[in-house]
Amino acid sequence: MTPRLLAKKDLGRFIAALAKEAEVWAPVKSTDRENCRFGPVTGAEGICLDCLQTRLPVKELFLPQREILFRFKSDSPARVKPVSDIPARVVFGVRPCDAAALELFDRVFLDPAGDDPYYRHRRERTALIGVACDDPGTACFCTAVGGDPHGTAALDLLLEDIGDRWLCRPLTEKGERLAAARGPAGKDDCAETERRAAAAREQMTFAPDLAQLAEKLAGAFDHEIWEELARPCVNCGVCTYLCPTCHCFDVTDEERHGRGARIRAWDSCQFSLFTRHASGHNPRPTGTTRLRNRTLHKFRYFPHTHGPLLCVGCGRCIIHCPAGIDLRETLETLTATLR
Amino acid sequence: MSAVEKLRARCRELLEKGETDIVLGYRAGRRNGTAVPAFITAAADCDRLILDESCHHNLAAYLPGLRHKGRVTIIAAGPTSRSVVVLLKESQFDRERLRIIGVNDPARDPASPVSGAVLCDEYLGDRAGTTAPADDTALAAFEAKSPAERRQYLAAELGRCIRCYACRQVCPNCYCPTCFVDASRPQWVGRTVDESDSLMFHLMRAMHMAGRCVECGACARACPMDINLMLINRKVGAIVRDRFGHVPGMSLDDPLPLTTFNTEDKQEFIK
Repeated sequence: MTPRLLAKKDLGRFIAALAKEAEVWAPVKSTDRENCRFGPVTGAEGICLDCLQTRLPVKELFLPQREILFRFKSDSPARVKPVSDIPARVVFGVRPCDAAALELFDRVFLDPAGDDPYYRHRRERTALIGVACDDPGTACFCTAVGGDPHGTAALDLLLEDIGDRWLCRPLTEKGERLAAARGPAGKDDCAETERRAAAAREQMTFAPDLAQLAEKLAGAFDHEIWEELARPCVNCGVCTYLCPTCHCFDVTDEERHGRGARIRAWDSCQFSLFTRHASGHNPRPTGTTRLRNRTLHKFRYFPHTHGPLLCVGCGRCIIHCPAGIDLRETLETLTATLR
Repeated sequence: MSAVEKLRARCRELLEKGETDIVLGYRAGRRNGTAVPAFITAAADCDRLILDESCHHNLAAYLPGLRHKGRVTIIAAGPTSRSVVVLLKESQFDRERLRIIGVNDPARDPASPVSGAVLCDEYLGDRAGTTAPADDTALAAFEAKSPAERRQYLAAELGRCIRCYACRQVCPNCYCPTCFVDASRPQWVGRTVDESDSLMFHLMRAMHMAGRCVECGACARACPMDINLMLINRKVGAIVRDRFGHVPGMSLDDPLPLTTFNTEDKQEFIK
């Protein structure tokens, strides 16, 4: 597939052309604060590409924090009418780590044994345009977990900065169509992206042996180190809700005057309620057991079941942890402590 | 000896002499300019203690969890010490098992009118006092709005809430074994981010904070969505000051305004 070029000054026209065919979403800065989030756009106006990443990862466009699965009436047999009115969408400005997380989601929600129609519908109806990272943040560590600042996983088109233009790398047929109107890039342009990618990789020095750690974690369930690691943790849901790969949810029925809706909403393994049984018994009664679960799910259970780690190294949990817990330090401590 | 060296030496001494079991302070985080609450039990580990502008956490939030863990020494600047006062008054920690090392607030939040510890057993360095609260133009602007505008503002501000409960979890006042939003049999509040659910959570929480919130700002700093939670806290604080003349966490002797009946309480709302 031929790499193409997009002048940055033409971004408005590019977005406007996309918007004729589909709903376009991009990182948008909310008024008066740093908090960038994916929002609908029709041109270049409002799009923020200065922020390294949106506060909430792109997962919210595929697994919304709250969605109505179906509505029902209590006085008649349940008539399940799945909601599937998602329009065709193009998401612009996705970082490679956030996109890579969707490949992990696919393993969970597109399981041939019983996939999730809500998720499938959104995935099929959405094209992803990524923007590569040339200047990783102080908490970024995608290279340590199998990612890359210029990674292409799950993307249809990757934009790589080469000064006043982007090199557009089509990765799928969808991506090829999105960039079809652009002129081809030259060899020098491609070499420039290689140079920038290498420089970005060099900025991330965290390189633990996570395959070895996964082995060590297999026998670490009852280790006393978890208590020490969990002491500063306040058991909020920041790390899970801001995580591009955390995907646990809760399903509740809300009913009033005989009419109701089944609602799916994000849930977090850091909450006590997450595992509380109807009997009142809670198999994960303490913060220690909950922090242990999150760590083991990402670095032991998920790789054991699916292969890849359940972490893309975006660093949001590190930057926004109210207690200042750094996942990289947790992994280093575990590596050093466990045998 | 610098202030932090003095702090380390004193904590080492306390642990070595067996006068305390845990020192609750701060250590450096892995990333430059960050701190992590530290729970030090070995004298040799006291060298890890730090005290600089990255030490912004309200350490009192960890006290209820240390209730059965022996004798605790807490490093307390103004905001933490005021929360300690509230916890002691609400019988959430045994004063006999608590040693407070007062310090001046290294992370001095402009939102907090108090820098130095208000209650301590010993003080590190020269004790900073209480300064007047900063002009609160944001609160004045909020109060100038009509009720409909206020509701609109709160709905927009709280509409960004993702229900991660970071605000609740870092708050020393939020020690209920089961929070009302976690009650599930029956479920009192929906678990979504719908306006009604988010408003219910935050406004109920604000009610629970009345007369107790020391306005340390920990909730606002913890919020990943940058919600202006301090506006709500300050509004509640202003109401309590106005009606009861009470500023929470300044003294162990003040009666708690909302649990103490006083015949002179304003009651013009009874008509």
